[in-house]
Amino acid sequence: MTRTVKEGGAGRLHPLVDLRMDRAWFEELQSRIDRNGPWDDWTLYQLAMEAEHSRRIESFEELQCVRFLNGLEPMKHQTDTAVRVLHDMGGRAILADEVGLGKTIEAGLILKEYMVRGLVRKALILVPASLVLQWVRELNTKFGITAIAQKRAHTWNYDVVVASIDTAKRDPHRELLLGTDYDMLIIDEAHKLKNKKTTNYQFITQLRKKYCLLLTATPVQNDLEELYNLITLLKPGQLGGHGEFASNFVVGKRTPKNEGQLQEALSSVMIRNRRGEGDVKFTKRIVRNIPLQLSTEEMNLYEAVTTFVRERYEESGGNLTSMLSMVTLQREVCSSRDSVFLTLVNLFKKTAEDSPVRGKIWELIEVIKQIKSNTKAEKAMELVRESDGKVIIFTEYRATQEYLLQYFRGSDITAVPYRGGMGRGKKDWMMDLFRGRAQVMIATEAGGEGINLQFCSRIINFDLPWNPMRVEQRIGRVHRLGQTEDVQIYNLCTLGTIEEHIVNLLHEKINMFESVIGELDHILERFEQEETMEQRLARVLLEARDEKDLTQGIEHLGHSIRKYAEQPAETENTAMPEEAEAPAPRRGSRAARRHAINRLLDGASTIVEVDSP
Amino acid sequence: MNDKQIQRFVSRYVDATGSRIVEKSPAHMTVKLSPAADRELTNRPYYWSYVDRAGVEPETMTYLFVTDSKRYDEQQLRQAEAEASAELGALDQAAHDALSRSIGFVHGAINGVRTPREDLYFGSRKLDQLFEAARVGGSYVYLFQEPERRSLNPFDSIAYTAWLGVNLRVEFACDMKREEIHSYGISLATGNIQENFHERLSSLRLTPKLPANVHTARNGFTLARALATVEAHLEKKLRGADFSWAEGAARRLEEELAILAHYYEKMLESAEDEHKDAIAAQYETKRQEIRWQYEPRVTVSAINCGVFHLEGID
Repeated sequence: MTRTVKEGGAGRLHPLVDLRMDRAWFEELQSRIDRNGPWDDWTLYQLAMEAEHSRRIESFEELQCVRFLNGLEPMKHQTDTAVRVLHDMGGRAILADEVGLGKTIEAGLILKEYMVRGLVRKALILVPASLVLQWVRELNTKFGITAIAQKRAHTWNYDVVVASIDTAKRDPHRELLLGTDYDMLIIDEAHKLKNKKTTNYQFITQLRKKYCLLLTATPVQNDLEELYNLITLLKPGQLGGHGEFASNFVVGKRTPKNEGQLQEALSSVMIRNRRGEGDVKFTKRIVRNIPLQLSTEEMNLYEAVTTFVRERYEESGGNLTSMLSMVTLQREVCSSRDSVFLTLVNLFKKTAEDSPVRGKIWELIEVIKQIKSNTKAEKAMELVRESDGKVIIFTEYRATQEYLLQYFRGSDITAVPYRGGMGRGKKDWMMDLFRGRAQVMIATEAGGEGINLQFCSRIINFDLPWNPMRVEQRIGRVHRLGQTEDVQIYNLCTLGTIEEHIVNLLHEKINMFESVIGELDHILERFEQEETMEQRLARVLLEARDEKDLTQGIEHLGHSIRKYAEQPAETENTAMPEEAEAPAPRRGSRAARRHAINRLLDGASTIVEVDSP
Repeated sequence: MNDKQIQRFVSRYVDATGSRIVEKSPAHMTVKLSPAADRELTNRPYYWSYVDRAGVEPETMTYLFVTDSKRYDEQQLRQAEAEASAELGALDQAAHDALSRSIGFVHGAINGVRTPREDLYFGSRKLDQLFEAARVGGSYVYLFQEPERRSLNPFDSIAYTAWLGVNLRVEFACDMKREEIHSYGISLATGNIQENFHERLSSLRLTPKLPANVHTARNGFTLARALATVEAHLEKKLRGADFSWAEGAARRLEEELAILAHYYEKMLESAEDEHKDAIAAQYETKRQEIRWQYEPRVTVSAINCGVFHLEGID
């Protein structure tokens, strides 16, 4: 009599370890013997064994995924991070590298490692909607992981799914996801989960997961509570109960105490890599301002608009907020007649029918009609033709974008648009076209995550935003890790206009274009405590009685920004240079809070040296 | 696996499935798939169900497998240049350049049958698919050793023993994992057990057909007994293994559970009654997650197995 073995055997191998023997193979073998086949091929049998040997995981420690990657050579701090998450953190971590150090790569390495080891099959990746396709593409191309962008209900059945959290938490998806065991959960831009009370936060708490990665460059922005909440999502209790956390680590809600201990606790769940001071080896930024003389017709329009705007300002009795759109008119003249025209038409519609302003607008439109060519567009075309490489042109205005697209098309240069309002599929498509056969991209949006244009090294600022952070964002799209060429930045600058002053301010006075990445936001934050840069500029512009006044006003602005820049962050809370006009951030002020929080994070970071590959 | 090993792997797969190599260099191979291989590799279930139902002659696909993409691309470029300079005069060249500038590179063979390119490197999806195809097509075998020498006397008969052969994968897992592969053969005549059995098999010539003039020894052992022998043997071996990894994992597990307990018990104490159930349920979920993550375990499963009739009685 043969003893039949139906179930897999199980027993203890060691006081702590279960042994499970799978016997499904044996039953199948027995049944094939009984039925006299079918039998498989001997060569394939050997090949299967060979494949198995090549994939075998020989050790607990050694990072396996690297030999499975083709063409991706992760940087040292990225593999170090992966190893720490795998070995010291058991696969649950906050990845909080500074922007540009490759959190996505680190998460990809960790996911791949677990997949290669057979510890993760089912993974859910929740990211902002605008990043879904980029994640899918990176996982597929860089890591050979078959990831699917969630589209329909049945997509959830795939092993690795990328979706937006807003979709995931909604019915009918919600129930499905809450009923699934995820081997791994990855959340990008996790700082959006800082508030415990939101539905997003509660949804993530309820998801069942084995390993979990939270990605954010800013794990805490204003309040230590945010950090506590993030960690609770990952490992409840890691910083103690809520009361304990508050009493052990927080003074007056905002300022950390027992900093050393807190940092130690943090480093068991969070990895933050920072760039070292000065060892950032980015390629160079070469800035050229291109002064342009407007044609007589264009200059006429500029002057007419300036007069119009000043009249309105005086009428309004110096009300700044209502005047911001007026200032826009002046800036638009420096960009294209199309954009002025559009704004004027809207203004016309908004103005009361019997208002004398209507007549004035009509006069302006007459002036516009005289303009036959666009000095800037001609120059931009010349710059594009000079180079065979890719060029990205940034403008602030939709109408200018449309105009330029037509203008380039008329000259047989392939140009594609890019703007904030496009759906994510279209954005991706435009990026692909630009990467492929289009020489020029004309963009109105530089912000938003996920535009990486390292393959392009020329930027034309057709016109400039008045917010320096936006200028930096533009440049940052191109001048980032992975850029191998020096980046050429052309600022088109029309002489005798407000633009000349702005370029002068940004370039000469605050040296914006070459400034060290990452510092600008700190400087601006301190500078903009009461009023934004844009508001200040508009005020200076409107209040200036003449050209000399304007020059002085802008001179003054530049001077005070420089003060902030030169004043090192460490001295914030101590004595200030006497001549500085800005008050030292008060204890409890936003800047001081920010400073305390940054110091805390910095203390829990690793400084890495990064070369541009 | 390096590119040479991958090439050898693919060549053997091609032979085994009756596919055909159309063209080959050290950097690539172009393969016309057999129907069997096509079913495994091309992800065309609808096409194949159509073929099966309509009973039409299947049109199998041809793949370009590139095993060394850098070298292959260089080869292609050199070849394209050579062809271009041979065919085109200076004027034509200029026209061709202009054309490719405006409409991109135009491949001469664009109207031919599409030959999809697959870069095969360790970790690539197509190679994984080939691995999977080998596993599916090579799980259970029943084979005979070809006799070493042919006996002169047609009435001589060589004695064969039937062996149960099995390749086992042993996974040591907690939040991390390590694997071992053990290969056993158990004589169904004597119960004799051999390690590294697969190596022994690999050195032999095996065939699915029963050779002439061969007789098999009586099986004194049932398959089930053979299985029990293998399992006992393996278990004994595993008991002697190093378990420090499991001790570490168990310690981490206890620590994590303690942290959770501290957090949730405090919370339960101070919670209002109406919330207690929800909190307790969440606590239990979190405990399960932690166990799932850290609990040390050893799992044994088969890679493949078979019955092998080998010369001699042992």
